[in-house]
Amino acid sequence: MELRKTITLAMLLALGVVLNIMESMIPIMGNIIPGSKLGLANIVVIFVIYFYGLRDGLLFSFTRVFIVGLLRTGLFNIVFLFSLSGGLLSVVCMFIAHKFTKLSIVGVSIIGAITHSIGQIIAAVFLFQTINIIYYLPYLLLLSLPTGFIIGVISEQVINQYQKIKIN
Amino acid sequence: MNKNDWILIIIIIFISFSLLLFFKLTNQESNQALVYNDNKLILTIDLTKDDKYQVMGLNGEVDIEVKNNQIRVTSETSNYHLCSKQGYISKSWETIVCLPNKIIIRVTSLDQNYDVILR
Amino acid sequence: MKKIITLFFLLLLTGCQDQVFSKDLFYMNTYINIKIYHHDQELVNKTFSDIEQIYQKYDQLCDRYKKHEYNLYYLNNELEKNQEIEIDKRLYDLLKVSKDYYLKTNKFFSIALGNVTDVWTNNKELPSYEELKASGSTDLDDIMLKENYIFSKNSDVSLDLGGIAKGYVNNIIKEYLHDKGIKKYLITSGTSSILIGEHYQNEKYRVGLINPLESEKIYKVLKLNTNSISTSGTIDNYYEFSGEKYSHIINPFTLYPDNYSLSVTVIAPDPILTEVLSTTLVLLPIEEGKKLAEKYDVEVIWFTKDGIIETEGIKNYE
Repeated sequence: MELRKTITLAMLLALGVVLNIMESMIPIMGNIIPGSKLGLANIVVIFVIYFYGLRDGLLFSFTRVFIVGLLRTGLFNIVFLFSLSGGLLSVVCMFIAHKFTKLSIVGVSIIGAITHSIGQIIAAVFLFQTINIIYYLPYLLLLSLPTGFIIGVISEQVINQYQKIKIN
Repeated sequence: MNKNDWILIIIIIFISFSLLLFFKLTNQESNQALVYNDNKLILTIDLTKDDKYQVMGLNGEVDIEVKNNQIRVTSETSNYHLCSKQGYISKSWETIVCLPNKIIIRVTSLDQNYDVILR
Repeated sequence: MKKIITLFFLLLLTGCQDQVFSKDLFYMNTYINIKIYHHDQELVNKTFSDIEQIYQKYDQLCDRYKKHEYNLYYLNNELEKNQEIEIDKRLYDLLKVSKDYYLKTNKFFSIALGNVTDVWTNNKELPSYEELKASGSTDLDDIMLKENYIFSKNSDVSLDLGGIAKGYVNNIIKEYLHDKGIKKYLITSGTSSILIGEHYQNEKYRVGLINPLESEKIYKVLKLNTNSISTSGTIDNYYEFSGEKYSHIINPFTLYPDNYSLSVTVIAPDPILTEVLSTTLVLLPIEEGKKLAEKYDVEVIWFTKDGIIETEGIKNYE
């Protein structure tokens, strides 16, 4: 059972990384506001949180950011730190939203999208030592709504289909 | 989607617009821009005078332009050119962040009563 | 007819009226802004290009990292034990002035700290005294100057003119502007030193001094003309190791930034004096600093952790 879980998570991890790289090939999002993106990889993160819980979610998110850093953006630079702080905060908040509120998967996904933005802003405020960066926050929040919604709807489908397969 | 999701969406929209309103109300037209490289101030720019500047960032040159009391980055050495896409800024809350270059441009208003500031 | 006469006079007036001309330069790692108030555009343009040439020349002469003819990089590399080296006359004069100030400030102002500042700049962790000491000689007494020749008792001294070059060049420019009869000007070098002539419309320049603890607040306003003002401090210029900030002003005796003040502002007509003394006074206890200020007849404002201290003459600028 443990081995099965490890293999599944590893495959999901690969999927998350591929989705992230795929997404970087679609240039539209970053043009609207620097730092914003659709967050396709979040589908996998939500999946992990729903079926494996907080600990694996955090580990999964950390490893994913690490691998993407290794492959594309570089390790321990600004982009890496931003992704990490946004990624980890959103996992924690999505888990809390999933466990302790009556939000649907779409709501949880929106929570993930906005807390990802907030995590990045927090990292930026610390890194650049200027509170002014909060100026981006309302724009990022508003943009998180459609992206969180789209990702949420897809995740809902994925999770429902998966449960059907499991039952059968 | 359930009722709770809609409440969440409405709350987020409300917070966003409150923040936007707050920034709009507290924003001031400014006369000076500060350029930071890796958190160190390297240049103060007079926004009342149209001009062009060039600073060195982590990856290379960053070109800055001042026009009609506004400031923007015209070109930079980076993959996505995000900070030149951002366009002009001119108000006290606005900031241009050139992430890969570690260059930050902030707009501040200092008292017009001074000819020069020493720091 | 009346109209034409008034128009004529108006033209005459505007023709003679001073205008603001401004030029930005980047030399010696510093953004320099020059403002000249004058009616003759041609003269101003000529002045701008002359001033740029002066900066450019000294930028090359004082360059520690790139070789130009007989410049500082060349000198630092050629310095060999007991061998005479010939350098550019202008660089020689600058070194001579630097060494004079070294002696005048009881060896607190030293241009021989190149090895140590390199360690402070490049080290990833806070350097230890042993590390700093091992980086090479920091003794300016090893360097002797004689008729355009430099003679060294020690081959590994690394000279760094960063603390005096700007002031030295500003002094040359001040004399140049005086010779040209240009009286109304404002030259800003970086964010910490200015050279001013007369104001173009008001009686005096208003100079705001920024609080080193609250980087957007002005704690003092000076009103003055025809002077040079330099501020030395830690606001924008520091080394950082694991989140802790260390001043860039290094004490030549301890090789550490042992600063008594957060920021020191010096006012005097001589830009070399203000540049050199502002740096030196950061390293000295206030009482000793006061003696030095008196000796060289400069006005000083110390911003320390415990408050602001001023020399008597500051009152005249309030």
